[in-house]
Amino acid sequence: MLEVKTLSKHFGGVRAVDGLDLRVERGEIFGLIGPNGSGKSTLVNIICGVLQPTSGDILFEGRSLDGRAPSARLRTGIARTFQNIRLFGGLTVWQNLWVAGNSTEDIKSQSIVSRWIGTSTRLKKEIEVMLEFSDLADKADVLASNLAFGEQRRLELARAIAAKPRLLLLDEPAAGMNQAEVGELEKRLRSLRKQGMTIVLVEHVMQLVMGVTDRIAVLNFGSKIAEGTPENIQQDKAVQTAYLGQSDES
Amino acid sequence: MDDFWYEFVEVTQTITDGLLFGSTYALIGIGFTLIFGAMGKLNMAYAGAALAGAYAGLAAFVLVKAPLVVVFGVSAVAAALLGYAIYFTCFRFIPTHNHLAALMASVGGLFFIDEVVVHVTRGSPLTFPSMFDDIYFEIGPFGIRGDLVFVFIIGLLSTGVLLYILFKTRLGLATRAVAQQDIAARLCGIGVHTTNSVTFAIAGVLGGIAGAMTAAAVGVLSPVMTVPLTVKGIIVAVLGGLGSIPGAIIAGLFIGGFENVFLYFRGIDERDMYVVALLFLFLVFRPNGLFGSTITRD
Amino acid sequence: MDYYLNLINTIGIHTLLGLSAYLLILTGQVSMAQAGFFGVGAYTAAILTVIFQWSILSAIGAAMLVAGGLAFLVGFPALRVRGLMLVVATIAFSEFARMFFYNLRWQVVRDGTEIGPNGTMGFAEIRYFNNNGWLNWEVTIFLWTFVVVVMAIIWWSDRTRVGAVLRAVGEDELAADSTGINVTVVKVAAMTAGGVVAGLAGSLYAHQVTDLDHHTFTVLLATFAIAYPILGGLTNVFGTLVAVVFIQGLLVEGLRFLGDWRMLLFGALIIVAMNFKPMGLFDNQTIRILQNALGIKRRGGST
Repeated sequence: MLEVKTLSKHFGGVRAVDGLDLRVERGEIFGLIGPNGSGKSTLVNIICGVLQPTSGDILFEGRSLDGRAPSARLRTGIARTFQNIRLFGGLTVWQNLWVAGNSTEDIKSQSIVSRWIGTSTRLKKEIEVMLEFSDLADKADVLASNLAFGEQRRLELARAIAAKPRLLLLDEPAAGMNQAEVGELEKRLRSLRKQGMTIVLVEHVMQLVMGVTDRIAVLNFGSKIAEGTPENIQQDKAVQTAYLGQSDES
Repeated sequence: MDDFWYEFVEVTQTITDGLLFGSTYALIGIGFTLIFGAMGKLNMAYAGAALAGAYAGLAAFVLVKAPLVVVFGVSAVAAALLGYAIYFTCFRFIPTHNHLAALMASVGGLFFIDEVVVHVTRGSPLTFPSMFDDIYFEIGPFGIRGDLVFVFIIGLLSTGVLLYILFKTRLGLATRAVAQQDIAARLCGIGVHTTNSVTFAIAGVLGGIAGAMTAAAVGVLSPVMTVPLTVKGIIVAVLGGLGSIPGAIIAGLFIGGFENVFLYFRGIDERDMYVVALLFLFLVFRPNGLFGSTITRD
Repeated sequence: MDYYLNLINTIGIHTLLGLSAYLLILTGQVSMAQAGFFGVGAYTAAILTVIFQWSILSAIGAAMLVAGGLAFLVGFPALRVRGLMLVVATIAFSEFARMFFYNLRWQVVRDGTEIGPNGTMGFAEIRYFNNNGWLNWEVTIFLWTFVVVVMAIIWWSDRTRVGAVLRAVGEDELAADSTGINVTVVKVAAMTAGGVVAGLAGSLYAHQVTDLDHHTFTVLLATFAIAYPILGGLTNVFGTLVAVVFIQGLLVEGLRFLGDWRMLLFGALIIVAMNFKPMGLFDNQTIRILQNALGIKRRGGST
């Protein structure tokens, strides 16, 4: 589904990403973990088109993404959430989802006029479904900036899946969440996987990573130091050293 | 062949005159770029304060027949005081992140200063004493106007002193620290407001000198000179790269020469069009100017 | 009576000017180019009615097309310039337009008199309304019909997805881009629409004042254009209208009694207003959009 080929990103002398190779299979939830500064967010930004790589390539469904703008990648089927929530604060919850239904499928299925005026009943139904899924149905007319933190996270996720992406990149979606909220997020991600979505999950919250991912890659200083199932990774010595210094548990 | 030679001499002459006069633009450009470098904001009232300073210098000349040095000194001091006043009224109390409010406030300041000048002088242009205009150097077929050389030398001296202050004194160090990281500077005990006030005052000194230089070279002081000088100052600062002093110097000289060439070929009405078009092209294709730091996207 | 009709006309024209800037600021582009498009609209319409004897509606329509087309062309380079630099670039554009008209000479002899734009002397004798027997109040109704229609169109589109998309781009371009919105299309479309409306305003202005002088199309006019939507708030079009009434009605006309001291007070008022309520007049979305437009760093960033 997604192939990262010998990807490098240099910022002056800093090697944020260094010769990275990754493969994400269709329909799996792929975890990406590593200490701060290991290049996870940079990688997400490159996959989504916000940053251009210094060298290397990204292939999505076999085809190179090749310098395309984020909106073009969205239309190709890649969506993302932001680590520090970038909602449209002055728009309501409904409007945030309204402006987001931009997949190629959406564009093709409606006339330009009805899409821009936004009266299509199909779009309305889809927004309602998403509001239900994210537990925000009763907040439809609330300004995004007035939502509680947990609600904002849910809206951020809803907006990303509004475009019906085939690949969803989540940048630390559980940051700042309490136990219950993390559990709910886990349920939602499982549900999305059941619907066929491929997910790349960048996270620090281990409860979520270990609980929901199929495979994990561990980054440190821009390169991959380990890859495998959650059980493998938990045992991996290199990972423990990277995260904890010298490991003192078995 | 004679015609070509004649054209060549005329054009070179024009460029030289323009370059020399361009030192006034360079100083104004440095003033804009200093303030932008220190605070990230554009002070739209700057050229107005500069010319008002020149008026003060003129007053010294008219009232007490002050010698040349004093005239320039008075202009510099007056413009520095005005610079501080502008800082206090238009920049000091407005939150740092609010660039637009500061911009609009300084526009208000520009209106205010302009109107005061117009009222005091009843709107009519005043003659400014020309210095050394009777001196004329001849180098082969080329002539160099003494008063333009004088203006150029003052420009050089002012820039030299400025650079000395910025790079060899503690005050200058503080200014540069604030420009780069104002929160960190504050934490180190550097008074940001004091430093910024001083920056405005230093820019004011340069402005006052530039205002007097312009008036001396042109021979006339009039409030209608404010807007063109503002526009040219901004153009020079942008072309040189906002925040870059060497850039402002080179851009100022370049604009002086460029402008004069177009004056020669197309006349005064069209001259300014080309300068403005140049600004637009630069902004679109080379927004960082010649030496500005890279403005990164998001 | 004529005095008040004139004031009402001025308010109408400035409302259109403010609305043209409003569209742009919604998308995060603080543009001083509106004065330039205004001038282009004014001269185009005037040349068509005076030299080519077109009817007023066709002339206005053509002026809107020309101004809009120019705005479309400006929209693309404008994308490469952000924040304060866009302000400077659009000032440069407006100044270029002004100087262009300052130098424009196109004289035609008709019925023994010379008419047409006359370079530094300005463009006089734009007498379409007079020559065709329009009464003053008819001109006012004509003018305001356009104003009402434009306000209605913008107000309505704010209720549709178009409005939400414009504001999304204004609030956070990166998020909008990542959500699949084609930011280029949105911003250039906004610039074009702004140009069309400003051209409309200019063409009405030319025929209302019958006399064009390049001194009108200055940075001051461009400043007014963006001041109206900023002061009136970006929530809806009525804010802009209120701001125009306030500034034109109260300040400009009301301070007329001060004569020459008017600009002095105006300048001082601006300084005071900015110091005491730099954002106090603005709602949160306006603040967010302006911060985004001027490239002001937000708190916190991604690693």
